[in-house]
Amino acid sequence: MRRSDLGEFEEVVLLAVAVLVPKAYSVMIAEELERETGQNVSTGAVHAALQRLEQKGYVTSVLGEATAERGGRRKRLFTVSALGGRVLTEVRSVRNRLWDRIVPPTLLEWS
Amino acid sequence: METPNPPRWPDKLLTWLIAPHLREEVLGDMHERYFRRAERLGETKARRQYWWDVLAYVRLSFIKRKPSEYPNPTPTAMLSNHFKIAFRNLMGGKSFSIINIGGLAVGMAGAALIALWLQNEISFDKFHEHKNRLYQVYGLTNSAGGEPVAIPATSQPLAPTLQQNYPEVEAVTRVKDVDQFLIRVDDKSFTGIQGAFADPSFLQLFSFPLVEGSKNAQLNAISSIVITEKLARKLFGTTDVLHKTIRLDSVDHFVVTGILKDLPPNTRFTFEYLLPWDYLKKLGSGWSNESWLSNNTPTYVLLKPNTNPAAFTAKIKDLTQRYAGRRDVWTHFLFPLSQWHLYAEFENGKPVGGRIETVRVFGLIAAFILLIACINFMNLSTARSEKRAKEIGVRKVAGAGRGSLIGQFITEAFLTACLAGAVALLLVMLALPSFDMLIGTQLSIPYQQYSFWLWTFGFVVLTSLLAGSYPAFYLSSFQPVGIFTKQFKKSQLGLSPRKVLVVLQFTFAIVLVIATMIVRDQIIYGQERDKGYANTDLIQVSFVGDIEKNYGPIKQELIRSGAAVSVTKTMTDLTNDGWRSWGLRWPGENPKDTNTAITLFSSDADLIKTAGMTLVEGRDIDGYRYPADSFSVVLNETAVKLMGFKNPIGQTLSNRDEKRSWRVVGVVKDYIVGSPYNPIPPVVIQGPGAWFNTMHIKFNPANSTAENLAKAEDAFKKYNPAYPFDYQFVDQDYSRKFENEQRTKTLAGLFAALAIFISCLGLFGLTSFTVEQSRKEIGIRKVLGATVSQIVTLLSTDILKLVLMAFLIATPITWYAMSQWLQDYSYRIRISGWIFAAAGLLALVIALLTVSFHTVKAALMNPVKSLRSE
Repeated sequence: MRRSDLGEFEEVVLLAVAVLVPKAYSVMIAEELERETGQNVSTGAVHAALQRLEQKGYVTSVLGEATAERGGRRKRLFTVSALGGRVLTEVRSVRNRLWDRIVPPTLLEWS
Repeated sequence: METPNPPRWPDKLLTWLIAPHLREEVLGDMHERYFRRAERLGETKARRQYWWDVLAYVRLSFIKRKPSEYPNPTPTAMLSNHFKIAFRNLMGGKSFSIINIGGLAVGMAGAALIALWLQNEISFDKFHEHKNRLYQVYGLTNSAGGEPVAIPATSQPLAPTLQQNYPEVEAVTRVKDVDQFLIRVDDKSFTGIQGAFADPSFLQLFSFPLVEGSKNAQLNAISSIVITEKLARKLFGTTDVLHKTIRLDSVDHFVVTGILKDLPPNTRFTFEYLLPWDYLKKLGSGWSNESWLSNNTPTYVLLKPNTNPAAFTAKIKDLTQRYAGRRDVWTHFLFPLSQWHLYAEFENGKPVGGRIETVRVFGLIAAFILLIACINFMNLSTARSEKRAKEIGVRKVAGAGRGSLIGQFITEAFLTACLAGAVALLLVMLALPSFDMLIGTQLSIPYQQYSFWLWTFGFVVLTSLLAGSYPAFYLSSFQPVGIFTKQFKKSQLGLSPRKVLVVLQFTFAIVLVIATMIVRDQIIYGQERDKGYANTDLIQVSFVGDIEKNYGPIKQELIRSGAAVSVTKTMTDLTNDGWRSWGLRWPGENPKDTNTAITLFSSDADLIKTAGMTLVEGRDIDGYRYPADSFSVVLNETAVKLMGFKNPIGQTLSNRDEKRSWRVVGVVKDYIVGSPYNPIPPVVIQGPGAWFNTMHIKFNPANSTAENLAKAEDAFKKYNPAYPFDYQFVDQDYSRKFENEQRTKTLAGLFAALAIFISCLGLFGLTSFTVEQSRKEIGIRKVLGATVSQIVTLLSTDILKLVLMAFLIATPITWYAMSQWLQDYSYRIRISGWIFAAAGLLALVIALLTVSFHTVKAALMNPVKSLRSE
């Protein structure tokens, strides 16, 4: 599994899906990311990332129920696939290993 | 809580932009986000954000449409299917297809024939390389008193004068037609071949390509000749004839120095050989004429590039006046090549059109024939396609898109139009020889020009688009539900455009029929006009070879052998337009008559007896009995009236300078000179002092014509052995005066028949559909007791009304147009009402007969059959 398969924004979106399951769909994910990062995140960007993730097989989707505030339209709900889960874990362990090797004093000097 | 709505424009944009399979979730997301934001941040901010969010969707992954999950047939696969269906439909209704294709093909062929002729007319002499700089020099008679007359010829010395004294002139040539030479090659001899004398520069002015020989080296040597390939084949049997010898009139020898390609049909020149002008000079008097006062030769000039023709005309205007040294003669003007063929008619010395009018009329006829054929085709295709509305419904239900339905119907119309085009081409090929004969030219289908194929193809495509557009675009737009229920029936009631078309077709046909009948009447009227002479048993022989020299012995021999009862020699043949002369003077002359044209004729003796004219006063000229008759004249009644003589006998006429005078000895009843439709001009018949070119022989009515001819031939063989005995019957010559009118009549009749035929085909096809549609109605009427005649009347009334309407429209149009046509003839019929009645009745009868085939069949049908099935 090559690391370059997962872009930074894709990784964040994938994580958000994992967090929000079973209610993970574009609007929720976008708002979650806005809350976490404090920046504007459009549903379009999220949706596009989700499309790419689905193409790579990291998430799967089904059409959910319709709600009134959507004008009676259905939403597409996403869940992390087994492959997606493994990629996430791998990415995390790579980061953890690197974090662990950082000497604590250096960490402080950044701010 | 009030429900705020997301802005509408971005929604529309998204709907249009986003692929259909993503539309639902994307729009749902957008709306949900909007409401949530509106709740949290307020509506204004939410709206602003909304626009930003929309922009985030502008990426390929959202715009790209999902490929269809059904197999997508390639266009060619569908096309072959369309062709298959079209073919089956054509085969399915054979009689219908034949009517439809046949009608269109006949119309296209008729229009194509006219178009070929038009193309030929318009392209006349347009192939010359220097066509923009070529002019013919015209004369224009003095307008002091009398109408100015344009003369398409000049004197012979004019051309060299132009060449020498005017730097604007690049080249100039005279062209004088000749056809009386006896041409000999070895021991074969030919007469009546058209040739011309021309200056050496002729081939520089006019681009007639040479197969052999150089363009600049022709017609210089006095004994050289240029001939066409056709003549070469005729004389020698081969075209390899350079430097071979031809003898003219058994006296002069000529060497072939150039061989011309055969002249195309679209040129005013008709020669088959060219002789050098120097030879004409050598022939001397009768040919060469160095007088400035005799206009007998067409003269053509080629101006240098960038010469202003108007300025040049001003310079040469008074050329003849200067060189002849008198002010009372004609002036000159230049007539450009572009006008030669189509605009060569003059009235009062001003151009007034000419053949262009015929060209326009026939162009109009061609357009109309094509139009009614197309209308028919559209009409029939449309009527038939309405029957196929159900088919369209089924196809739509089964999932056919509109595009593919349009494709299907256009393909079908295209196939039909192509077939019609092919048939039309075949018809044109078959009809071209007889059409050529009819109009007296040689047309050919320009297979090699791709513009011709482009036009043909373009026309086929256009027709198919027109014919196919109704079913393709209109019928395919219906909802299938509408087609199957009664909604569709409503649209069928809109029959009125179709009625308009039928009226249009019949109007056109009736116009042509009436026109044909009026032309026919006018011809008969002219033929029945009193000629003033008897042309039966009368022949005329042109003076060739030794005839003039041996005229006396030939005349004696003819009378002695009993072949002829009387013989006379004259200036020209009787049916000729005659020689016009200006400047004859008479006592008591009105000054305004100075320039009145007088037609000259001549006779040695016995003219009145030979031609069967009627003597009104005095006696005939007889140079043998009265030697003083050399300068005697006989006048016709019009001349007497013009000159205002109370007692014409014994009056004296003189020429301009009064050196010569003639004494009037007799008056003859008016006889027709020139066109039988023109007023009779004043004629002066001169005695033996004039010149002669023809002899007239009145055969002995006691013998058979063959016997007389045999005896006459013996006499001519004896005294003119080198030449074959060439003669013309004067009554045949006379009937040739009607050639133009006869041709107009034949053409108008032909196209009238064509128009009626096409209209009837259309009517025939259309009634078959109306009858088909009212089958049930007819059945019910019959059950309720309607008779056959009642039903036929019911079905025919509509058509009757349409034809009547067409008649009402056609009558004033034709009346106006034909009155205009008749204006050209001063001796003309009055248009009588019965012609219109007859044409109207004819149209009505033909229409009813056409319709009756279907109506009677429908009326006779057993109602059980039509009502049984539902």
